[in-house]
Amino acid sequence: MLSLEGLRAGYGRVEALKGVSLDVRPGELVTLIGANGAGKTSTLKAISGLLRASGGRILFEGAEIHRLTPREILRRGIAHCPEGRRIFRTDARAIREDLERVCTYFPILAERLRQVAGTLSGGEQQMLAIGRALMARPRLLLLDEPSLGLAPALIETTFRIIREIRQRGVTVLMVEQNAYVALRMADRGYVMETGEIALEGPAGDLIENAHVKRAYLGG
Amino acid sequence: MEEFLQHILNGLILGGTYALLGIGLTLIFGIMNVVNFAHGEFYTLGAYTTFLFLALLETNFFLALLGAVASGILLGAICERLLLRPLLGESIDTTMLVMIGVWIAMQNAELTLWGGVAKSIDHPFPQPPLTLGPLSVAPLRLFVLGAAVLLIAGSHLLIHRTRLGRAMRATFQDRETAALMGVDIHRIHTVTFAFGSGLAAGAGALLGPVFVVYPAMGDPAALKAFVVVILGGLGNFAGATLGGLILGIAEELGAGYISSGYRDAVGFAIIILVLLLRPSGLFARAERVG
Ligand SMILES: Nc1ncnc2c1ncn2[C@@H]1O[C@H](COP(=O)(O)OP(=O)(O)O)[C@@H](O)[C@H]1O
Ligand SMILES: [Mg+2]
Repeated sequence: MLSLEGLRAGYGRVEALKGVSLDVRPGELVTLIGANGAGKTSTLKAISGLLRASGGRILFEGAEIHRLTPREILRRGIAHCPEGRRIFRTDARAIREDLERVCTYFPILAERLRQVAGTLSGGEQQMLAIGRALMARPRLLLLDEPSLGLAPALIETTFRIIREIRQRGVTVLMVEQNAYVALRMADRGYVMETGEIALEGPAGDLIENAHVKRAYLGG
Repeated sequence: MEEFLQHILNGLILGGTYALLGIGLTLIFGIMNVVNFAHGEFYTLGAYTTFLFLALLETNFFLALLGAVASGILLGAICERLLLRPLLGESIDTTMLVMIGVWIAMQNAELTLWGGVAKSIDHPFPQPPLTLGPLSVAPLRLFVLGAAVLLIAGSHLLIHRTRLGRAMRATFQDRETAALMGVDIHRIHTVTFAFGSGLAAGAGALLGPVFVVYPAMGDPAALKAFVVVILGGLGNFAGATLGGLILGIAEELGAGYISSGYRDAVGFAIIILVLLLRPSGLFARAERVG
């Protein structure tokens, strides 16, 4: 469905991606893990068109997309839920309207969010951000650290919603710091180190991998 | 007291057009991160286009005003497409230098085209002032105020009530996320620059018949626009509107009670005070478009 072939990209003279190759097949939940600064966010930005590729290719359903604008990429069916939620701070009325629209797409959110008045908590903002990405009815959803900054109970809810999204037939590529949880729920995983893919394989194998255990699973 | 009210009315008339200038400049800065030194030239363009329509094409006065706004929109869009779009993502200094170039080029083009002699614009309004109780006002000036209020209200509706306006506000808040939501950032930039330039041209078209038209008339207008933007807070639509009115009134009061020679000094005194005491603008809660 999606494949990156030797993708290179950077910011000015900083090269953030030094030839990244990865694949996501239809229906899969694939996770991309790695330390801070490894290039995970940059990978997602390159896929959604926010970061220009300086080399390599990105193919979505067989067609090259790395020269398209973010809008065109969204139209093809890839939605990107950015790191840090990036909710538009605006007046409470507008947020409530957005919430209601999100809920029509994703009823599970309704239960959570009917309670909301005015300002949103971190968890609610994350639901809103995911729901907002779903409003484009994407076939591929890119999630950047959905559990970042959430309380443990909310992390669980968030992951439950992601599993549901996947069950509804949306393919998911998810970046996570929380490597253990991410690998437990994913089909396959990629481990990224300083702009390159260091390891890849079925998620179950990566959990057992000695290097992954030492570097990302705390023992 | 009557004299004071008269100054306030005159200040509102002047301030309405300052607000138009300021709204355009603040939107361009807020959404595009471009310091538009050529803003005053679009004001001049509006005044000369009005003159062109009336004196050379001999059209109706109101049609000439529409033509002036259209000329600002058109040249603004061309300017954005040809000069600013290729520089998207470059530093603010780069685009600022380019806009200084546009300023010089446009002003000299006007000088070449129209010559240095000031021109006056005819208008269909009767000369004798209307008296409203203790106040008196020339019908033309009353029309200028009404037209400015209409343009400001229209701009407000565009920004707060339309999909396009929502996309503009989203781009101002977070360009990357707006792009991820499917907002066409290029289009928003073209629209913003064309819109801001159209408002500046409208202000020039309205004040052209009140004063006279000459190639360098945009320079003081651009200065006023910058004062208004600093007063109102960068990217703040309501702030620019209020800032424009405040500047207009302050200038009239300064000219009336101190000396007419101090008119422009009042604006600079205000800007210095604001920068010292409230550098993010008089109305800053958060900097925002809207
Ligand atoms: N906007 C930016 N400007 C310059 N360098 C950046 C920018 N964003 C990220 N980088 C650099 O690119 C590299 C990869 O960053 P990122 O993709 O955010 O990593 P991750 O998401 O894995 O933490 C880092 O070295 C980071 O410093
Ligand atoms: Mg990241």
